[in-house]
Amino acid sequence: MTSPMSCDDAKGLFAEYWSGSLGEREEIAFEAHIAQCEACRRDADQLGALWRNLELIPAEEPGPGVRARFYDSLAAFRQGMESAPKRSLRDRLMALWPAQPAWQMAISFALLVIGVGAGYELRPGAAKIAPDGQESSQIAQLRGEIGNMRQMVALSLLQQQSAGERLRGVSYAYQVPASDTQMLSALLATVNTDPNVNVRLAAVDALRAFGSSPVMRTAVIQSIRKQDQPMVQIELIDLLVDLHETDARPELEKIAADGQINEAVREHAKVAMEKLR
Amino acid sequence: MKKTKMKWMVLAGAAVSAMALAQDSENRVTVAFSNPNRPRVLVVNQVQGSVAVRGYNGKDAIIEGSHVGERRRDSDGHGGMHRIDQPGGMDITENDNTITIHGDFMHSSNITVQVPVETSLKLKTVNGGKISVEGVSGDVEADNTNGSVVVTDVSGSVVASSTNGKVTVSLTKVTPNKSMSFSSMNGTVDVTLPADTKANLRMRTDNGEIWSDFDVKVDGARPSQSIDTREGHHRIRIDKTIYGSINGGGPEIQLVTFNGSIFLRKK
Repeated sequence: MTSPMSCDDAKGLFAEYWSGSLGEREEIAFEAHIAQCEACRRDADQLGALWRNLELIPAEEPGPGVRARFYDSLAAFRQGMESAPKRSLRDRLMALWPAQPAWQMAISFALLVIGVGAGYELRPGAAKIAPDGQESSQIAQLRGEIGNMRQMVALSLLQQQSAGERLRGVSYAYQVPASDTQMLSALLATVNTDPNVNVRLAAVDALRAFGSSPVMRTAVIQSIRKQDQPMVQIELIDLLVDLHETDARPELEKIAADGQINEAVREHAKVAMEKLR
Repeated sequence: MKKTKMKWMVLAGAAVSAMALAQDSENRVTVAFSNPNRPRVLVVNQVQGSVAVRGYNGKDAIIEGSHVGERRRDSDGHGGMHRIDQPGGMDITENDNTITIHGDFMHSSNITVQVPVETSLKLKTVNGGKISVEGVSGDVEADNTNGSVVVTDVSGSVVASSTNGKVTVSLTKVTPNKSMSFSSMNGTVDVTLPADTKANLRMRTDNGEIWSDFDVKVDGARPSQSIDTREGHHRIRIDKTIYGSINGGGPEIQLVTFNGSIFLRKK
């Protein structure tokens, strides 16, 4: 076939290309398309990074509180299920299922890894032999893998075209562990660059879960003057006050004195400085 | 392998002849959605002037633009000639079922679009008018700076904001599992939802009040999640943000205003 490949065709072949299952002619056509199409190259880079990361799904090192936290999140999950709208399981699963074949493959693969891992760990006999400490490490590992899945879904949603989908990505962020630096940087990127003010506002609220991270605090301080929306600026200032971040004072002082900044924001910065004394 | 699909890129300039054929009056253009297999999307990026979108029973987008403050005398004709430039200085493109309209940067113009009912919208303007949406089904995004946003009789999901105007949204049906958000700096946020809508709520106003006829279950525990325990002391947040839920909870709905009030109404 001599006709060049279209973007839609190319996108449908990402997964097969990475897994090496394309025919020679298709592979050449695919590579030719990627070489000349910037949009597809960008998509390939982003998805490719995830594809490679899948091989490295880290087994989380369990700390002493892991068992308790697991049961906490299990309880929270149950509560969430009970209060969630009564929809069929099929609908719920369909809502999570992305349209892109590469994502579908990626998630299928991750589920397979989890399934095989769980099957192996939970095989008859294994639990009986394993001492107590090891049992909780198995639970912790599973929990870590579920966390990774959530993170993957959240990160992919944050890249969507639709603001509604990105908002959904932000709400997923509440469910990943606060130690997740990749999630944190994705949220900070959303706060700084998302084109939609509503998504930025939601992301600022989601940052509260990362309150103990010094990286987050510094990034929030620096973000205020980059914002063009007074609403987001005020939410960021309030977040710093809630975290009692006294290091924010020099920056708040600059904001209060900056004539370019919205008057309500400057007033807010002044009040915040009083509170952070 | 599938035969390469034809690229549907209708550039305004390149397609003047086609557009001219579709013009049924001097300030009206009909643009077809080219790919029935993809969801319909209308994007309007306006700087000066209003944007109004209405769902109608048809399959094309009918776009009208008018310069503000300019007397329309095109119909007088200039010696039998007809006007061939685009109305209201708009730049219209269609690509893979997404129609994008850029308003004129230099002149204020009001853009009115009729779209098939099932169309998603991304609408934006800065000065000189409101954004209004009526009778569509899809995902609606609307951002205004100095005017209001009024969304009525929409089913689907809405994300809307204005800096200095009111945000008034009324949904007849809500897509399950979609997050929504409504915000204004200086205006009232007034949202009407079907009575059975399930949602988790985050509501915030600094200088206004929060009113609802929904039975809002206020979540007392959640704000304290941000308690700072770094130095061993607990900080209880007493602020203007209220977390809660309606009908047992569901996807997140955010309502934020600083100087306005919040009205969450039950339909």
